[in-house]
Amino acid sequence: MTEIKIALVGNPNVGKSTLFNKLTGLRQKAGNYPGITVEKKTGSFTEDAVRYHVIDLPGAYGIHPSSLDEQVVYDVLADKSNPNHPDLAVVIGDPFNLKRAVFLYQQIRDIGVPAIFVINMADEAERAGLSIDTGKLEALLATEVILTDARSGKGVDALKAALSFQPGPHAPSFNIPAEYHEAIQQVKRQTGEEQDYPAWLYLSQKHSLSHGAAQVGAVAAIRKEHGLNPHRLQIQETMARYGKLDADLMHVVKDPAKKREHFTERLDKLLIHAVWGYVIFFGLLLLIFQAIYTWSGPFMDAIDNGFAWLASNTAAWLPDGPINGLLTDGIIAGIGGIVIFIPQIAILFIFISLMEESGYMSRVVYLMDRWLKPFGLSGKSAVPLMSGAACAIPAVMSARTIENDKERLITILVTPFMTCSARLPIYIVIIGLVIPAERVLGLDLQGLVLFGMYVLGLLAALGSAWLLKWWLKSNYKSFLILEMPTYRFPVLRNVALHVWEKTMGFVLGAGKIILAISIILWVLGSFGVSDRFTDAEQLVKLENPGMSAEDMENEVQSLKLEYSFLGTLGRFIEPAIEPLGYDWKMGIGLIASFAAREVFVSTMATVYSLGGTDDELTIRERMAGEINPHTDRPAYNFASGISLLLFYAFAMQCMSTIAIVRKETNSWKWTTIQLAFMTGFAYLAALVAYQLLK
Amino acid sequence: MRTISQHTSISRLRKGETATIIGYVSGEIPLKIYEMGLLPGVVFTMKQRLPLNGPICLHISGNPNSVALRRAEADLILIEPLS
Repeated sequence: MTEIKIALVGNPNVGKSTLFNKLTGLRQKAGNYPGITVEKKTGSFTEDAVRYHVIDLPGAYGIHPSSLDEQVVYDVLADKSNPNHPDLAVVIGDPFNLKRAVFLYQQIRDIGVPAIFVINMADEAERAGLSIDTGKLEALLATEVILTDARSGKGVDALKAALSFQPGPHAPSFNIPAEYHEAIQQVKRQTGEEQDYPAWLYLSQKHSLSHGAAQVGAVAAIRKEHGLNPHRLQIQETMARYGKLDADLMHVVKDPAKKREHFTERLDKLLIHAVWGYVIFFGLLLLIFQAIYTWSGPFMDAIDNGFAWLASNTAAWLPDGPINGLLTDGIIAGIGGIVIFIPQIAILFIFISLMEESGYMSRVVYLMDRWLKPFGLSGKSAVPLMSGAACAIPAVMSARTIENDKERLITILVTPFMTCSARLPIYIVIIGLVIPAERVLGLDLQGLVLFGMYVLGLLAALGSAWLLKWWLKSNYKSFLILEMPTYRFPVLRNVALHVWEKTMGFVLGAGKIILAISIILWVLGSFGVSDRFTDAEQLVKLENPGMSAEDMENEVQSLKLEYSFLGTLGRFIEPAIEPLGYDWKMGIGLIASFAAREVFVSTMATVYSLGGTDDELTIRERMAGEINPHTDRPAYNFASGISLLLFYAFAMQCMSTIAIVRKETNSWKWTTIQLAFMTGFAYLAALVAYQLLK
Repeated sequence: MRTISQHTSISRLRKGETATIIGYVSGEIPLKIYEMGLLPGVVFTMKQRLPLNGPICLHISGNPNSVALRRAEADLILIEPLS
């Protein structure tokens, strides 16, 4: 079967993703571009015995990149050796901003990529009285023009049929000014490039990765010889193209220019109002957090009970022995620990996706810019910081839309301080143990402390951003230029796909780690080599003659745990964590949660169930009954509980986040600094708290 | 006669006032400004501004979407008020 690679390109907010979803249905997957973690969405479908592989490129206004997202668009389109380089580009435009889409189309054709042109939201334009002469447009663009309405699916079949179209030759739409001809000839000789416009791109892009290091140096020399400033060349090109387009499109678009968009205007009067805008935004945040807790409750209980039922049935059904223990204490408990997060993560992503789809998210950026700028962040950091309340992994990835390198780095470095959903089960268990269930001023004290933990996370993020701001230097000036699209009703299909994709990404990504750790922990906790492990039963009998059989069994189990590999590890780090108020069993939890903090509760479940025989008690009851052998006080008392809360609030304990930060910053230095700073700060805060409170 | 010098920067426009772009302060301004359609000859209306030197929201005539930019960027654009 013939295989054709198609790339969807377009300005942001033109309905590109909706069209992508319509074209590929569920046959799509999200992955990463090699080397950088800009999200890559691909899908495929078959039409007339041709297999089309579709790639959905990030939104871009032009071919000259000013953010990582746009760099991807450039690299895929301009570099013929790129594995994603398409056979045909589909440029999607919005009828109300046709000029901008034609601008992008012409740049792509000038690079030498064949392209067809799609006008999406065609129905809306018609209703608004806007008429576009597609015949004239086809003549101007030297290609096929297809009208679609991605929401209703109108025109999608026509688009599929047009994908086999092979556009004829395209005359360059940008005439390079004569003053640069000599430099262009030099670049062509140097690089072997035959066309003028690709040679021009060598001159006008300073940092392009796709050109190769040797060429970059040689081109820089040519630029220097002619005294050329790449940024000015880009501006000159942009202005020349737009100037020409004004004349070219004059007879193509007939806009009666009657007053439109009353709806957006009216809504914006309220939503970006200097006072009400903020009130509504914070009200919405409150609603989101309420929803995350209250809506997810029944689902989480059901999942919890389901896994408890599965574990106890499996335990009863299988013969006693190591396999039984591995399955019930290790694997089922481990998987249950991941699945329980799904409701909360899904709810958060439903809200984030609705905000993005409706056009409200860009208003959030606009509203928050003034308040985040003093901390060295940008309004665009609001999105990663908010997403960080679900999970730092997609949050760090969403920082890629921030153009300024310094603001992007700071955002990535501080986002893991935000209270992610993995911290939540630890907070809930510990707050339940050490904070009395009282009411203060009519408010639930435990709920207040939980809210306080979120505030603490935000303060830690802003505080460290402020410190980093003084420390970091930037090569680029910080700026914010943002398009605020008209409000639209979200396409529910897009929301569903987005939530599904993000949730599964979390489950599969974090799941693998949690499962592996659960198994490793179980193995380490169930085996040991010391005499006190292998001869535990005799030892207990010798030391406690006349003990009841049940107490004896418990004593044997806890002695075995203490001298297992896991217990040895926990006791090894005990001197370091004793000043924080923790015993060796909690030490095991800390070690395990350096891979992923959500492991703490399941680890403590494993540790305490390995050390006991009673399966009826819940993890919380076990923790409440646990006595610290050094202080003879409950292991989870007020002082050690607060110390533990602070430790988990600040420490960087998530291997997946470390991995994604390494990828996104492309720097081990920053990854290490972040890890050391967060964990060191966590240790200090926990130490001070415990020593003051004990 | 109204003095133009007092009115050549966007951040001095009042809400609802309309102006046209006549040029730029220097060549070192973000390409995004041009790509967003803030080009010479373009007519726009000041839609809204946030207090305490917050960002500015403009409405370019003929474009249903709005453009937001910080005051620092807005001041790089030279304008002539129309109303």
